[in-house]
Amino acid sequence: MDRAVATHAPDTAHIQQAPRRSRFSSRGRFVAVMLAPATILLLGLTLYPFLASFWYSFTDYSLLKPNDRDFVGLANYVRLLSGSEFWASFRTTATFCALAVGIETLIALGIALLLQAESRGSGLLRAIYMVPMAITPVAATFTFRLIYSPSLGVLNAFLERIGLPPQAWLSDPRMALPALVLVDVWQWTPFILLIIVGGLSVIPAEPLEAAAIDGASGWRLFWDITLPFLRPFLAIAVLFRFIDAFKTFDIIYVLTGGGPGTSTRTLNLFAFKQGIEFLEMGYASSIAILMLIVVTLATRIFVRATRLMTSGES
Amino acid sequence: MIARSHPLSTLARRALLLLFAVWTLFPLYWIITMSFKREVDILASPPAWLFAPTLDHYRAILSEGEVLGFFRNSLIVGLGATALGLAVGVPAAYILARHHFKGRTDYDFWILSTRMAPPVAMLVPFFILYRQLGLQDSHIGLIIAHVAQNLAIIIWVMKGFFSDLPAELEEAGLVDGATHWQTFLRIMLPLSLPGIVATGILSFLFSWNEFLFALVLTNNQARTAPVGLHSFIGYQEVQWGALSAAATVMLLPVLFLLVIFQRQIVRGMTLGAVRG
Amino acid sequence: MDRTNDRPMQRAPRRELTRRRLMQATAALGAGSLASPFLSRSAFAQDAADYTSAGIDWRMAEGTEIVLGALEHPWTAAIEPLLPQFTELTGITVTLQKSSETEYVTKMPVTLAGGSTTPDVFMVWSIGQAIEGGFLEPLDAYYADPALMDLAWYDEEDIFPGAREFPVWPADGQRYAVAITAEAQTLFMRKDLFEEAGLESPDSMDALYDAAALLKTDDVAGMVMRAKSTADAVDWTAAGFIFSYGAEIIDEAGKAVFDSPEAVAAIDMYGKILRDTGPAGIGNYHWMESLGDFMQGKAAIACDSSNFALDLENPEKSTVVGNVLYGAVPGGDGNPGSPNMWFWLFGMNSKSANKNAGWLFTQWVTSKPTSLLAARNRAALPRTSAWMDEQFREQFGEQAADAALANLAAADGSKFTRAWFNPMWPQVGDALAIAINQVVVGEKDAQTALTEAAVKANEELAS
Repeated sequence: MDRAVATHAPDTAHIQQAPRRSRFSSRGRFVAVMLAPATILLLGLTLYPFLASFWYSFTDYSLLKPNDRDFVGLANYVRLLSGSEFWASFRTTATFCALAVGIETLIALGIALLLQAESRGSGLLRAIYMVPMAITPVAATFTFRLIYSPSLGVLNAFLERIGLPPQAWLSDPRMALPALVLVDVWQWTPFILLIIVGGLSVIPAEPLEAAAIDGASGWRLFWDITLPFLRPFLAIAVLFRFIDAFKTFDIIYVLTGGGPGTSTRTLNLFAFKQGIEFLEMGYASSIAILMLIVVTLATRIFVRATRLMTSGES
Repeated sequence: MIARSHPLSTLARRALLLLFAVWTLFPLYWIITMSFKREVDILASPPAWLFAPTLDHYRAILSEGEVLGFFRNSLIVGLGATALGLAVGVPAAYILARHHFKGRTDYDFWILSTRMAPPVAMLVPFFILYRQLGLQDSHIGLIIAHVAQNLAIIIWVMKGFFSDLPAELEEAGLVDGATHWQTFLRIMLPLSLPGIVATGILSFLFSWNEFLFALVLTNNQARTAPVGLHSFIGYQEVQWGALSAAATVMLLPVLFLLVIFQRQIVRGMTLGAVRG
Repeated sequence: MDRTNDRPMQRAPRRELTRRRLMQATAALGAGSLASPFLSRSAFAQDAADYTSAGIDWRMAEGTEIVLGALEHPWTAAIEPLLPQFTELTGITVTLQKSSETEYVTKMPVTLAGGSTTPDVFMVWSIGQAIEGGFLEPLDAYYADPALMDLAWYDEEDIFPGAREFPVWPADGQRYAVAITAEAQTLFMRKDLFEEAGLESPDSMDALYDAAALLKTDDVAGMVMRAKSTADAVDWTAAGFIFSYGAEIIDEAGKAVFDSPEAVAAIDMYGKILRDTGPAGIGNYHWMESLGDFMQGKAAIACDSSNFALDLENPEKSTVVGNVLYGAVPGGDGNPGSPNMWFWLFGMNSKSANKNAGWLFTQWVTSKPTSLLAARNRAALPRTSAWMDEQFREQFGEQAADAALANLAAADGSKFTRAWFNPMWPQVGDALAIAINQVVVGEKDAQTALTEAAVKANEELAS
């Protein structure tokens, strides 16, 4: 959070340099005790599964032969990276993430700005906008399956009513992925909106007013003042949306199952098929490990670029 | 801020906000109307906008008791995971925001990375771990699993709130001779309460809707609604009415929470956020 | 493409199933007890005597608790209310764990491969995987032990022979499971539309195409079937086409042969029917969409599991009650129709701690008296006596029941088991499903798609 960090880094430094020795050791104990529960819980629950799946990825572990797994070195990775399936799924995943997170951010930003100018009824609207995150996903996704139904769905009925030809939606290889993105946008725009609304409401009035008096246009105000203030909030929202969108599963699984053909088969769906349907845990684990590497790299770059990390690591 | 806007632009703005509300609510509207339709009307083509309403689906799900059990489990797990997640995550977030220690950047990133792992590869080791620990099909087991998943979000969002609180208060406390504990508990924690509420709601929603771990780690005792409601997707038949009625019932407490806390959420963000 | 103008409809001899045909069909099923089809009437009063006449000690595992793993299915719904009777009879408590089909197939492999001792008894989602993984207890020893099973009382002759052989594993001749349900691929036709157009139940794939094309209007699709590109979707119905063209999916040598000229012709027809006469968006259809369309009168013909009858004849859900003609899957290129079929199987967890209790349950739940009660709770079971029960026939629909039985008799179980029971079936089925889907949506022609998929499938089978 550049601004936040910039202003507070000195304060933090101040505490670090807390004077007396006894204070320091008590501070050390304080830090350790405060971090311990989270560290223990996360270590306890994520370390073993991670190491296990990391190990599986170098074996031919199949759930069909749970007790008979051999070390196969990099064979799974070679098979993955040399085949076309991984790369096709990778492209699908990247497209899905970029479209979904991009559209969600734009809509959320726009709505948040409009909402900011609204004084009456904005409370109710904010609550309404949160609803998609609160509906049990199985009901939401199956309802979308019904809404998208080419023959019985309300979407095509609407198109016909206004004189447009009905669409195949989920069974059209070019339209299936955008149709899935639309559902993700519906469900997760509120998440970004929630964080931006919070950010917007704390922009101090003075700089905006000063600039307005100087005759700056609405766009200038937005670019020069509002957006820089919002940046850390946008960054956190986009970061977590990206991490989650990369793993999107239930929407795709319920609505298209990866089809038509393989046009919506994302990496997570590919891994699920290999691991849970084909029971090839070794191979599935190597997909998961590669996914983890991709997300980690992308996140690192993103965090660095947006200077999100609270310490000045550069 | 854009207070002196033109009446026409006000109209356009309201129209857009309303449009977004319609877009947001339409699937919900569809679910709620489905819950009052007879099965034969649910799939009617063209869609039945007017229909003879029935309460049969509600009667069916409420009399069975099974749905109420899912609901109860979801509530226990959601609230439990939120409480535990905050209790564990808030102190960590405070340290990450306000104190320096060796390897903090890496630690910070490691926390974030715990949310990145695709669950598919984790399911089997998780299942085996839980079987050995005897945590299968228990509320506490699922609570812990959800906390592990949501801790990254809790810590990172709370971190933002803490680092935006003015440092003077904390310094004043320390200068007055208060210990770090006292400063944290008496000054920083109360100040960040609105942020805790907002983060708590996010955490609750994520737990409330989590599917894959709930599916694999629970059976009859601790099965939550996202898994339980799948039982209306039958073999060669879908009980649309019962599914949507159950979803509507499930939505009520969350809507209640959202309406009650929506002011808190925004106020939380407000108080906790950046002060230029 | 409307071919009705250049090609007059073939007036097929009426193939509606009559009671006489039914008797032939069930005779073909080898049902010994059929001499008196309504025998079950006399067995109406279910009481303890029906069970205590068996020469085994039902109380041998008294006090134990077993967990039953099942998916949401008419069978499960039919059995659930009967569980207290089992507890009363045996003193064994049964806990039912049920989930939807997709959940079930996700959860079971993880649970069993994780070494779980429960569920003790469960519906088998993929017998090839389950046997290969060692999850299933071999049952031959239980059948052979007179202390554990009274074969005379159990009356295996009453079970469809196909269902009896179904769970016998070819590799070792051992029986690992028991069939609990019976479904056959069935053709569903709108009676009013067929009568109006003067059409008969089609007797060949070409006639089926012509009928579908003739009946297609702007508002009503000619025909709907599964086309979604997952192994649990399109494969099952499309396989009936492949079989009915005299082709196979996996041959006796364990090789994928669905790129044979006959299979290509079958999938070409499958794609052509759906492309030309199906609704927009057919490419994402699963049974859910097919059933919905047909129930709402949006399709003239559908082809799927015989279980559809339970919904189609339910006035709560369906607008076509009493307006459905149930028929046989026709043959293609002069071959006899060979519909696909399916018996859900039931087995015991090899790691179960309560195997005797599990076995008692398995025997009880598939026994004649229990089957009869379950049938009356609207489940289609693999026992002749259950299908002959009047109450069941009334619920299922007389004609629907006859058609289902005839299709069961016409089905070739070995073609099915060679494909579906192969431990690599999920991989093979996935490749096949994607190929058929590509044909249906017009992305590739049948020859190209199937050839590519067969190469991939054979790589998997060889690995």
